Amino acid sequence: MNQTTQKKATLLVALTVAASLGLRAQATTPPPQTFTTTIYFDYSLNATNSGYLTGTDAAKALNNKFAFRRAYFTYENKINDYLKFRFRLDADNTANITSIDFAKSSTKKDDKLRPYMKHLYLDWAGMLPNSSLKIGMVETQAFKAAEDRWGYRSVAKTILDGYKDITGVDTRTSSADIGVNLTGSVNKYLRYGAMVMNGEGYSHPELNKYKKFGGYLQLIPVAGLNVWGYAETEKLSDSASARMYKVDVYFDMIPKLNVSGEWFTYDSDSFFNKVTQPDLSTVNKHYNVGGFSIFGTYKIIIDKLNVFARFDSYTPDSTNDNKNLGLVIVGFDWAPIHSSWKIQPNVWLYSYKDPVKKGDIVANLTFFLSF
Amino acid sequence: MKNKIMKIIAIAEVGLALMGATLLLAQRSKMIQIKGSDTMINLVQILAEEYMAKNPQSPIAVLGGGSGTGISALINNTCDIADTSRDIREKEFNLAWEKGVKPRLFAIAVDGLSIIVNSKNPLTKLTMGQVGAIYRGEVKNWKAVGGPDMQISLYGRQSNSGTYVFLQEHVLNNKNYSPDMKEMNGNAQIIEGVRADEASIGYVGVGYVIDKATGKPGTGLKILNISKDEKSQEFSPLDKQAVDTGKYPIARALYQATNGKPRPDVAAFIRWEIGPEGQKIVEREGFYTIGAAYVEKNEKNFK
Repeated sequence: MNQTTQKKATLLVALTVAASLGLRAQATTPPPQTFTTTIYFDYSLNATNSGYLTGTDAAKALNNKFAFRRAYFTYENKINDYLKFRFRLDADNTANITSIDFAKSSTKKDDKLRPYMKHLYLDWAGMLPNSSLKIGMVETQAFKAAEDRWGYRSVAKTILDGYKDITGVDTRTSSADIGVNLTGSVNKYLRYGAMVMNGEGYSHPELNKYKKFGGYLQLIPVAGLNVWGYAETEKLSDSASARMYKVDVYFDMIPKLNVSGEWFTYDSDSFFNKVTQPDLSTVNKHYNVGGFSIFGTYKIIIDKLNVFARFDSYTPDSTNDNKNLGLVIVGFDWAPIHSSWKIQPNVWLYSYKDPVKKGDIVANLTFFLSF
Repeated sequence: MKNKIMKIIAIAEVGLALMGATLLLAQRSKMIQIKGSDTMINLVQILAEEYMAKNPQSPIAVLGGGSGTGISALINNTCDIADTSRDIREKEFNLAWEKGVKPRLFAIAVDGLSIIVNSKNPLTKLTMGQVGAIYRGEVKNWKAVGGPDMQISLYGRQSNSGTYVFLQEHVLNNKNYSPDMKEMNGNAQIIEGVRADEASIGYVGVGYVIDKATGKPGTGLKILNISKDEKSQEFSPLDKQAVDTGKYPIARALYQATNGKPRPDVAAFIRWEIGPEGQKIVEREGFYTIGAAYVEKNEKNFK
């Protein structure tokens, strides 16, 4: 046996021993770390070709497609009973970057699912009784309650987040941000939360010296009835600020049925339209953004089959009713074999206040995978 | 356009047919779903099997996963009964309230939580304080508690286990377990670990340590007597009277939790478990029958 072969054999033995030790350790002492992956993808069909969304040339060209919408890769480490760490990468297919291939001196369109950091935080449960203090890039309180409650992120975003791309109105709300997030419960009737964050979300670094402050109180006067009130404020510049108020109601008093309502209004000093006066002069007219969403789920067969429905009414400009839009989503959530694999057929029906815009119908066959 | 609508209708028809089939299958088998404690799983499986033999119209499915998993399932309405070897925590009661779930607890057996060591370990007893210090990792050598000069090897459960939480709350004073503790999947794995490791210590339900054939601790195992403190008398978890009277300091009830008043088929099963036939099986499996105080509490929860 020459020296190289000997080295290879030694390495092989070492790797085998290490692997078997690793396996043994795994069998007897499962590590407190977990890796999980969740993926949503759809087969989408634009059932109409005449609406605001489905009538555009781009939509017509893409009226029948498979698409990955989200892929999450999450690593969690339970350091002890009071301290946890979480790291989550998220990837979506909105990346549409024209990148330069320097080697070939060419440009190319890049629509790949591109991972980015969504969560990176420590979660400490020991500061106050029944509390959780998260530090780092954490989920925001404005989103978390309703998103958890809606439960079908695989099908659609909640109202606060779902219309940015369609209406072009940016309410500076994000599902994650860098900051400190404290939540807890005082007793069975009262929960609380307070958060300080950059305000730029997870996509951008901090762009100014100002911070966003938010907080909520949740009252549960009787078992299964939750009233959740949230307020946040953010200074945008020395002279402008923005505020958001949100109220959610959750109803869980009938077995297998949950119904929820979500209402919000967003008021930014920088939101105004130039309005032409009769004398042809222009004035700035301030507007708000707001909306409400009602959604519910009924468990037909526990762990197997649910039916869900939602109605949204979105007002992107409080001074112009014609911009209002409505959305109805109806679908099933079916786990034919195991809860890690779900099929969620759903239909979206958009309606627009503007008489020029026709309604849209989009049918999706959504696949949910988690492992 | 017409073709697309036809396609959607066709896809919807296939989907609805498959869901309809699932619905029919589910309705044909209206099972009582039980999830939770791994300490209780063997006992509840045997109880369920014997109950089903006499009541074939009441199918029962029993799953483990730990008390925490069972309580979560009850809160999320994904089981009818949660097996739990610990009390429901305040945080869990609050979450249940939020989701409209009102847990009711039924004690079906009593367990003397047993601290076990390898049979070669000459030690015979420990105080609660010593057990806590060992599991917190403050005492690392058997010599410090009167044993041989040997590094202590800790065996325990994962955090979703009710036994893990019970010991943490009642013996470790709510402090963290030592990071050196080997977190095992179940009582049987702890027993195997302790049997194979001379320096070991472990904790398991009393029903797991007695060899049913001999009525004595299984081969290679020793059950330690436990005292509240250095001045108190020590007791064995095998002493039924000490467990019943609370003299054995780490005794606990094994519960089944339901959401509110149990529905008739669930109530019938629990009544059978806590009745003479069920309690006979409880004893046969090495656990202890429930006393008068638990019987009274159970009765209130049926109403």
